[in-house]
Parts: sequence; structure tokens; C-alpha cells
Amino acid sequence: MNLGLTQEQEAVREVFAALFAKESPPERVRAAEPVGHDPALWGHLIATGALGVAVPEAVGGAGAGLLEVALIAEEAGRRLAAVPFAEPVSAARLLVACGATELLNLVLAGAVIVSLATKPVPLADQLLADGAVADFVLAFDGDRLVAAGRPDDVRHLPNLGSVPFARWQAITSEVVLSDGATAKRLFARAVDEVRVLRAAALIGLAAQAIEIGAAYARERRAFTIPIGSYQAVAHPLADALVSKDGGQLLTWKACWAADAGEPKAPALASMAFAFAADTAYHAAQHSLHLHGGYGFMAEQDIQLYYRRAMGWATAFADPRRELHVIADRTLGPVGSIGPQESTDWEAG
Amino acid sequence: MDFTEASNVAEARILGQAFVREHVTAEMVRDELRTGDGVSRPLMEAMGALGWIAPTWPESEGGAGLDQFQASAIFNAIRAAGGPMVGPGTTMLAANAIRAMGSEELKQAILPAVAKGELLICLGYTEPEGGSDVFQCQTRSVRDGDQWVINGQKIFTTYAHMADFCFLLTRSEPDSKGPHGLTMVVVPMDTPGIEIQAVRTMGYERTNIVYYSDVRVDDLYRVGDAGKGLHVMRAALEAEQNVAPSSRTPRLSDAAQEWALAAPDGRGGVMADDPVVRERLALLAIDAEVSDLLGYRVAFIEQIGGKPGPHAALFGPETYVKWSKEMIDMIGPAATIDWTDPEAVAGGVFEYHFRSAVASTIYGGSSEVLRSLIAEQLLGLPRSRPKT
Repeated sequence: MNLGLTQEQEAVREVFAALFAKESPPERVRAAEPVGHDPALWGHLIATGALGVAVPEAVGGAGAGLLEVALIAEEAGRRLAAVPFAEPVSAARLLVACGATELLNLVLAGAVIVSLATKPVPLADQLLADGAVADFVLAFDGDRLVAAGRPDDVRHLPNLGSVPFARWQAITSEVVLSDGATAKRLFARAVDEVRVLRAAALIGLAAQAIEIGAAYARERRAFTIPIGSYQAVAHPLADALVSKDGGQLLTWKACWAADAGEPKAPALASMAFAFAADTAYHAAQHSLHLHGGYGFMAEQDIQLYYRRAMGWATAFADPRRELHVIADRTLGPVGSIGPQESTDWEAG
Repeated sequence: MDFTEASNVAEARILGQAFVREHVTAEMVRDELRTGDGVSRPLMEAMGALGWIAPTWPESEGGAGLDQFQASAIFNAIRAAGGPMVGPGTTMLAANAIRAMGSEELKQAILPAVAKGELLICLGYTEPEGGSDVFQCQTRSVRDGDQWVINGQKIFTTYAHMADFCFLLTRSEPDSKGPHGLTMVVVPMDTPGIEIQAVRTMGYERTNIVYYSDVRVDDLYRVGDAGKGLHVMRAALEAEQNVAPSSRTPRLSDAAQEWALAAPDGRGGVMADDPVVRERLALLAIDAEVSDLLGYRVAFIEQIGGKPGPHAALFGPETYVKWSKEMIDMIGPAATIDWTDPEAVAGGVFEYHFRSAVASTIYGGSSEVLRSLIAEQLLGLPRSRPKT
């Protein structure tokens, strides 16, 4: 067991930490509201090859794994980067798996944005996380996996977390990428990758929310001493830090499991998302709260984190409903055990 | 990044399980439940024969030359079978401090016998007035020629009634306060003037109050410099907070899943089909996974020479307490029947966990102390306690 990052992974992390620190300061995050898309930052991501980090070299990527892109997602989350990332990275890998190299090349060149519709229901019924900015969305209708073209008329739906939400009612094109059992399997894997990458972004968000809260608690005085001296202020931040570090390890393990093809990978992916969503919310909530009335002011950065802790998680799923996905993957689906012949247990 | 268990760790676990089959008898497990001593001398000697009391020490010192992960795998295999491991684990906290800070003569007198499983050392930190604030220490030691004369009282000295030595924190400078003027001594427990009083706990554990009246100890048994007990204590406390923890949350999760997958729901299915059960078991499975990961993180950071911080020592016990309560709610009143009755659910394991969990958020530093350490050392927040 080796819980350390390799030199290459550290390098990926440092490069993108520096990029987001420079290109996604709070002013840029605010300027990108309400749509939540910063085209200049997106241009930098394309130029650095971020979308292709986890795409095989043979088809134009860097040939790294999910862990490396999760490190990028974490740094993006730390700076609230106003760019679509989890779904486009997963979609790019899905295009590889389907052999759709033509569209993949356009993605890697930055000519189009391809996202993923993560629910297995008709496309028109979904609130698409990147709908306002994507050119194509990969969607699964229960049988076919298709690349759907952006409708002519797309309206951004202004929202809590400045997510580029939109609905796609009348798509302009549809190309079938895969169908049947293969499509189902590939789509399930792609959705699990979104789980992990959203978890990574939420962990990065939590880390910075804790930093902002700790910095404020060191400086701000109440009743003559810094508020960080009060345990009611300090201790929930300590709990948040522990959850953030634990959630980061859980996310990394989920990435490793997916990259290594471990049987526990799907269970770990759903655990990572549920835990990260909870961790990010509580970290941002306490950090905002300890700002007192100031935390409520639009000019404070912590409110940007608080709104996205909620918005980024709910854009993917209800974390509590995800618990049932975890249960399916750890205990087996409901009814799969069947009645027991004899047992020593007493149900109470 | 590689979460694969190393093959030598899997081998260590298999060795541990084979050891369990030979040495951890049903009688030993029952005795432990009955007495709550936390110690089995035959178990310690059998472990010592393999170098497993001090598994990470080199073989030349009586250890087994294993890494932290291998050592944890062995200890956890023995714990999972119900073998009493409080004695060996706690003895090693003192032994490691002696190894780091003791004189050559003291090390020779104690460490080889510890490694063989022949010596049991209890911890004498806590006093009735002190609790988590160990530096309130009022037990006095006075130098008299080549000896120290000790007077005072310690509480929660687990297995003192069986121990060979006590790793004792004393105040050697009469007017000193707080962390200054302390001296650490390992006191032979057969010295005249030591009186032990049993304390029963709600957690099936026995602990003790120990009175020291004019107890005379040779200076040989001093650990580190006189008046510098703080340094010894700090090293020992950090070792305790950083111990690769063997959180019990994963064991609770395993037991709960086993129950849910077998217990009938009265409608032809099992309790694992019930959404209220599923949500709880999913949350518990996450906390179990994170507890384990934070434990591995300790072993990993120790191995590369860093300071892991008390994350695992906080998260493991906090989740253990929380879920020990939730599991009884979930299973119902039958879960409260204890291990002495054949009707107990899963041998009374849930009742046992509920009783036992609460102490885990206290010993080795209460959760509040650990949160303050994290706030101060990792978040740079001001100290919240008055300076002494």
C-alpha cells in the first residue's frame, strides 16, 4: 500500500493548482456568474490538454488514469473554476470506449464541448448540468447510447450554484454510439466516473472553505479575543478538516479502484460522492456561519463556496438517495437475498 | 498511489489467523469478557516467541522486523478473534518511549523482556483531578540518594493489578506547575507501598485506582532527564494518538451487514431489504471505509517519517460511538440482550459495542483535546485553553 502521489501526479497537481489560482480568482468566478462558464479559463484547460489527461495516448490523450484527472478536479473545486469538467472528462473517455474518434478529436482540439446526461431517462426530461454550454450531450435511453446535438434554442436557467443548467427539448442531431448491454455497461461506468470527479471537486471546495474559515477565525475578534480561540468555532472546523482528508483518501481510493478494475470500484465511487457532498456542505456551512453577518454579504468569498457546495452536489444527485446505490453495491439489490430457511437471528 | 494490500501484509494476516487458531482459545475470549482485564499472559508469551509484541522492532532487539501495515494486520487478526490486546498494545506505548528516551541500563533491564512478552507495563498518567489535562499531575517524586520516593494517586490504570511496571508521570519539582518540573519513572509494581483498588466499568472492562505511599524506586528506573518528563510524555502521547488504529467502526459495520443479510423481515425477505436499514448500513459502510483509510494514512505517514496528526484517533472513535447507538435502534430491543444469554443477537456483539464505545472517545486524549490539537497545529487557530 502506497498512499503517496507519484512525482508525475504531484506535478499534475502543482501545474493545475497554479493554473486555477491564476485564472480562477474570486473576481473571475464572480464575473462568470450567473452562467458559471468562463470561456478564457476553458481555453486554458483545452490548451493544457486537461480533457485528454485520462484519454489513451493512441487516440491523442496523455494516457493517465482517473486519479490524475481527479487531482485536476480537486484543484478546480478549490478555486470554484467556472468550467464544466466532471461530465466532459467522463464523456471524452466514453467516446474512446465507443470508438467515436472523430468527435473525440473535436473535443480534444477544443472545437466542441461534449457533456454527459447522467440520468437513464429521456434527455428532454433532464436538467443538464452543462446544458447551457455543451455542443453535444451523450445520453443513454435505456437501450441506446447517443450523441445528441445542441438544440437551436437553449435557455440557461439561473440557479443557486451558477451551474450551466439547461434543458434540451428539440435536439438537432442524434448519432448512436452503442446499444444493448454494452451501452448500458459503458454508461454505468461513465456515471461512476462523474461520481468520483464530482467528489474530487467537492473535496477541493471543502478544503478551501476550511482555509477561508480558519483565516477569518484567526483574525476576527469578538469579546476581545480571536474567535478561533472559542472551541465552538474551532472544533467544527477540525471535524471538517478530518472529513476533508478522509474524503480525499476515499476519492483517491475510488479512482485507484476504477483504474485498476477492482470489483469494489462502483461501491467506492458512490461512497466517495455521498461522503464528499456531505463534507463540502458542512465545511462551507460552518465556515460561512463563523463569518457572522459578513458571511451573508455577497462580497464575501465564502458565500460563493456555500452556494456551490449545494449546487454542485445536487446537480448530480440527492446524496441521500445515493445511499441506496451504495446499499445495492454493498448488500446487493433489494430482494436479491431471498427468504432464509433457518437462522439464529431475531429481528426484534 | 496504490491501495492494494502488499503481499507481505496478506501473508502477515494469514500468519495472524493461523496464530489465532492455535493460541486464541474460546476459553481465553470468555475469560476476557468475564474479567475485562485486557491481558492474557499466555497470549503475550506466545506472541513474544514470534517477535510479535514489538513487531516493528528489528529481530536483534526481539522484534520481527515488520512494517506498520504487517504489524496492524497481525494485531487486527488477533483482536478480531477476541484475543485480549489491550495489554500488549499499551505496554508498547511505554516501551517505545523507554526505547527512545531511556538510559542504556534501563533499556537493557526492560526492553528484551518486553519483546519476549514477559513484561507488562501499565500507564500511570491520569489522576482523579486531572483527566485529559495530564499535566495537572500532583503525584510527587522526591530524590533521596539513589532513589526516588513517590507519593500520590492515579486513576484509570488499566491492568495495574497484573502489571510488572507502571510508566508513571510524577512531579519532581515541588513548586512547578503544568508541563514543567515533571519526571517519568517506570515503577516496579511489586514495590512496597503500592495499593490497587479495582474499578468496574460499564464497558466490560476492569480498570484501577492505584495509591502510591512512600514507594521507593531506584534512579535506574527514571526515563529521560529529571524535570524533563514533558518530553517523554509528549512522545508517548503522540505515539498513542498516532497509533495505526484498528478502528472498531469497520468491525461494527461487518457485524451489522451480517445481521441484516440473515435476519428475516417477517415478509419472506431479510432486513437488508428494508430502506431504513439500507440507508444506515450505507452510511456506516462509508464511515468504516474512511476510518480504515485514516488508519492506513497513519501507518503510511509514520513509515515515511512524517507526523500524521490525530485524524484517525478522532474519526474512528466518534463514528464508533455514533453507530453503536444506531445499530441498536435499527435491530431493536433484542440487540440489548447481553452476551451471557443464548438469545443475544450475534452473541451480544451490539450490546457489547454500545457499552464499550464511549470510552474510546476519552482514552488517549478526549475528542475535545484532539480537536483542539488539530485546530492549533493544522489550522493555525489560537490556543483555546489557558496557559499553565
